[in-house]
Amino acid sequence: MSPTGYPWPIETARLDNGLRVVVSEDRTAPVVAVNIWYDVGSRHEPEGQTGFAHLFEHLMFEGSAHVAKTEHMRLVQGAGGSLNATTNPDRTNYFETMPSEHLELALWLEADRMGGLVPALTQETLDNQREVVKNERRQRYDNVPYGDAWLRLLPLLYPPGHPYHHATIGSMEDLNAADLATFAAFHTTYYAPNNAVLSVVGDVAPADAFALAEKYFGGLPLRPDIPPAPDGTRPAPPGGPARDDVVSDVPAPRIYVAHRTHPFGSPEYDAVTVVATILGNGRGSRLYQRLADGARLAQPDYVSAYGVDLAHAPAPLIVTVTARDGVSAADLEEGLAGVLDGLVDGIGQEELDRAKALLATAWWRQVSTVAGRADALSRYATQFGDPARAGERLPAWQAVTLDAVAEVAAELRPENRVTLTYLTEEKA
Amino acid sequence: MSLVAERPGAGAARPYHFPEVVRRGGVVAAHLPGQALAIAILLIDAGAGREPSGREGVAAVVAKALEEGTAKRDAAAYALALESLGAELFTAVDWDSFRVGVQAPVDRLPDAVALLAEAARTPRLDPADVARVRDDEVTALRMDWADPGPRAEAALRADLFGRDQRHGSPLHGDPDSVSAVTVEDVVRYHRTWFRQPGTLLVAGDLTTVDLDALGAAVLAGAGDPVEGAGGPLPIEPRTGRRVVLVDRPGSVQSTLRLGHAAAHRAHPDYVAMTLAATVLGGAFTSRLNHLIREVRGYTYGIRGEFGQSRRFGRLLVSANVQTAVTVPALVDTVGEISRTAAEGVTEEELAVARSWRAGQLSVELQTPGAIAGALATLVVHDLPDDYHATLRTALLAADEALVSRAATRHLNPAGLTLVVEGDAAVIRDELVASGLGEVLDAPL
Repeated sequence: MSPTGYPWPIETARLDNGLRVVVSEDRTAPVVAVNIWYDVGSRHEPEGQTGFAHLFEHLMFEGSAHVAKTEHMRLVQGAGGSLNATTNPDRTNYFETMPSEHLELALWLEADRMGGLVPALTQETLDNQREVVKNERRQRYDNVPYGDAWLRLLPLLYPPGHPYHHATIGSMEDLNAADLATFAAFHTTYYAPNNAVLSVVGDVAPADAFALAEKYFGGLPLRPDIPPAPDGTRPAPPGGPARDDVVSDVPAPRIYVAHRTHPFGSPEYDAVTVVATILGNGRGSRLYQRLADGARLAQPDYVSAYGVDLAHAPAPLIVTVTARDGVSAADLEEGLAGVLDGLVDGIGQEELDRAKALLATAWWRQVSTVAGRADALSRYATQFGDPARAGERLPAWQAVTLDAVAEVAAELRPENRVTLTYLTEEKA
Repeated sequence: MSLVAERPGAGAARPYHFPEVVRRGGVVAAHLPGQALAIAILLIDAGAGREPSGREGVAAVVAKALEEGTAKRDAAAYALALESLGAELFTAVDWDSFRVGVQAPVDRLPDAVALLAEAARTPRLDPADVARVRDDEVTALRMDWADPGPRAEAALRADLFGRDQRHGSPLHGDPDSVSAVTVEDVVRYHRTWFRQPGTLLVAGDLTTVDLDALGAAVLAGAGDPVEGAGGPLPIEPRTGRRVVLVDRPGSVQSTLRLGHAAAHRAHPDYVAMTLAATVLGGAFTSRLNHLIREVRGYTYGIRGEFGQSRRFGRLLVSANVQTAVTVPALVDTVGEISRTAAEGVTEEELAVARSWRAGQLSVELQTPGAIAGALATLVVHDLPDDYHATLRTALLAADEALVSRAATRHLNPAGLTLVVEGDAAVIRDELVASGLGEVLDAPL
């Protein structure tokens, strides 16, 4: 086992305008990944503006000072590259993987929209992308069974006013109300070089990458007073168990159980990650062995447990099971509670070792591409101040002890539990 | 604001080399220095195309049943043994092949491959377990079919190819066909198809890997190779368009699946067809995505591509659109397919398509999993070791005339089937009035 999860070189620099640049050279293939994390996500959205960070992400592909509408995608794909972006509660990331001779193009495009988006924003673009996002919401959340689970869990896990209380996709009402001036202000406020990390990984010499970063981003002004998101690090303790019972047109009863745990990056959250793997990852997991295989209450393809890796407040652990034919939601819920409550009776060394082995494979898979590595470096630079800390996660998982696992397992008490059940319409 | 106005040109390109392909006995391998993980896949000629009529989906049940214990150990012990290596068994069934694989840290690959062989060659297949796995698979399919999409796909396949053909049903069958699978069907499928040696694909850092030992672990004691499934099936081009309506009451979107039968994978026009479809609907900047998403805002995304296997192929265009714009979205989509068939592509669009497809070869082929997939392509389609290098050259050399000719030859807008899965009560009258084609209700 490697003593580090990141056995590649890392070099860093900070431009005068505050942009942090991270370079990790790997000449294996003639490809290079560019990844920018902006330290802004849906946790920054005030009431009435839910979904704005994500809708804004869409606008970033619609042209900037020297890039015409639709040209961004055409230039990247026309250079042979892949590109995308995502928004979550914590942050917004933009990334492309290019044949390495087109690195300079990628940096030019990213700099142009970091520094020159506002002049290109138009009402027509906003109206178009608003419709696209509303269709994204319909496709992912509104038109599929159980699709709104995440939208329902968040307000149960986090109190009103907490930065994680609302979902990143936002509400249809807020999206309809979005106006152009708000987006121009959003860009001016948050899309500043000193609020971003640029990572470049792959077929490039660090000195060349730093020089190109300076060339394209060096002229952008620093913004001195970026307002922080509301502090969510110490939400009020749960006032007892919470639940939401939904009767809906779903094919089978399903239960989600969620707990607020610890922030991503903490040793306690590493133990939560291991517990989630023990519970719900693989056919050797407790949920599979006890509910799918053993008691035959749950459908084997639909048991899972996972942490949502959020860093700015206690992050959620989500556990979900779906009833087999003829099994009632009540019996399933009782079975699931039994598995969760049974964690405090002890976890075996063999279970711990199995979980660590699976996590090691998952880690190496994530960093097997230059894009995966670039995203990890951006994350650790943004959230923990040092990209090299990406190398610590795997050893931290491997160092989780039975005692540490027992401690976080003991926190998953019924009185802190959020339960969301979906009941089929016929049985209601 | 101080931005650099001038767009930079390209630097000097460094050539991409597909890893050297090592073929030894039944092992096909690629050496990827420095990769922490390695992957091994047993590839056999036992894809869905081999399934008997009325038992569509039996291969997927076999795939699940392989993990229900082996001659040596029960299911729980098997899971623990494999997962303690950091590996999980993955299975995949497509039209032409059945794949069983493991991915693990390279020093654990031999142990993981031994377990792969144990599951693939000597599964327990206890009747009670097989029956339960079959029932679970039926339930899982019902879950899947509650989402928009699978019913539309079934309706499209049935209309394009006919239910008397295996590929006239969904790849993994449907809840009814899997319900009909018996324990004996599963045991017979395994006995018939899992005795062939197959091919072991290996990708990873091979410095310390004994390929002969891996091959022996999986291939020793196997029976004879199986006979090929047969050549490409004939295509009868349609002349009339039809709309097939799949009712989904209350749906806030309509799921669109448009298509027609098309040439098989080994057709000489393969590269030109790929590029024509990329211009039409493959890239983000494609004609369809530009118009339907970026101009109209009707959808989160729309894609069009040729799906091609050894014996058959089809054009497939997929999107989910807001219910109220179902007909305008269909009119625009048919319009772009018609325009592309009639006028071909422009050099400007083609330049993006060919650079993108060629660039993607190096961008995407980075991981052991991706390389193993590329090795599988070589084996399934009988392609030479230098195929990926040749493909890149062919993509970059395809000119406008060649690709436009392929668009004209292989797109058949007049013979399209337009499957619409949505709220029939809301959209039926407008669909009928649109004149897009005869409106039929899906026999589902």
